[in-house]
Amino acid sequence: MNKGDDDRDIVVDMEAGLEHMSRGTGRHLSRFVATIEPYYRSMEIAKRVAALATELGIGEVVAVANKVRDAGDRKAIGDFCKAHSLKLAGEIPFDPTLLEAERAGKTPIDYDDDGPAVRAIRKLAETLGAQ
Amino acid sequence: MRIAIAGKGGTGKTTIAGTLARVLAQSGRRVLAIDADTTPNLAVTLGVPAAAAQEMMSLPRNMMERQTQEDGTTKTVFVADSEKVIADYSAAGPDGIRLLVMGKVDHGGAG
Repeated sequence: MNKGDDDRDIVVDMEAGLEHMSRGTGRHLSRFVATIEPYYRSMEIAKRVAALATELGIGEVVAVANKVRDAGDRKAIGDFCKAHSLKLAGEIPFDPTLLEAERAGKTPIDYDDDGPAVRAIRKLAETLGAQ
Repeated sequence: MRIAIAGKGGTGKTTIAGTLARVLAQSGRRVLAIDADTTPNLAVTLGVPAAAAQEMMSLPRNMMERQTQEDGTTKTVFVADSEKVIADYSAAGPDGIRLLVMGKVDHGGAG
């Protein structure tokens, strides 16, 4: 991507594998966010994704903890990030209002713009923007 | 910021991507959301109306190129002018967000 991109934020929803990404694509991204849920398979995939993103030359790879229910979840993800030298950029709590929103046929932010997960994502945006 | 979000399949990743895009747009930023998942459903989390999402055109094949790497594998590379692509192929979402869906690209026979 080229002209006009400087004043536009780009958010890409990737699939778990980055197989269809090329070095050329990665060059246009400033940061790569690997979501991590507090269970083994999710962490293993995050590890693989982070390694691949680094290989693709994406500026910075950070992790975001997702669906965190308690201190045990927090510790599991924190330990994992430490062990694999991943910077934890934010934490999004397990939030039942997300399911309520889905049942109501609304987006999370339109259903409750002050819900726990939406609040956490707003904070994440500030963190990512400030870095 | 230009960020990509990835992780194990499931709704978490898309919820974060979609809500992050909305949060940025509501703070006054121009936001382009790109759904690069092979089972695209970012439109729902963003709040792009179903009709608009349905009407979205597949990205033309000449915009993406399948290139063979040194190691013999192929990769899909973005080669078109991004402003024109956004103007022609994106759907309008809430808060001025534009959405592009890459997963609709047909790779069959390309290259």
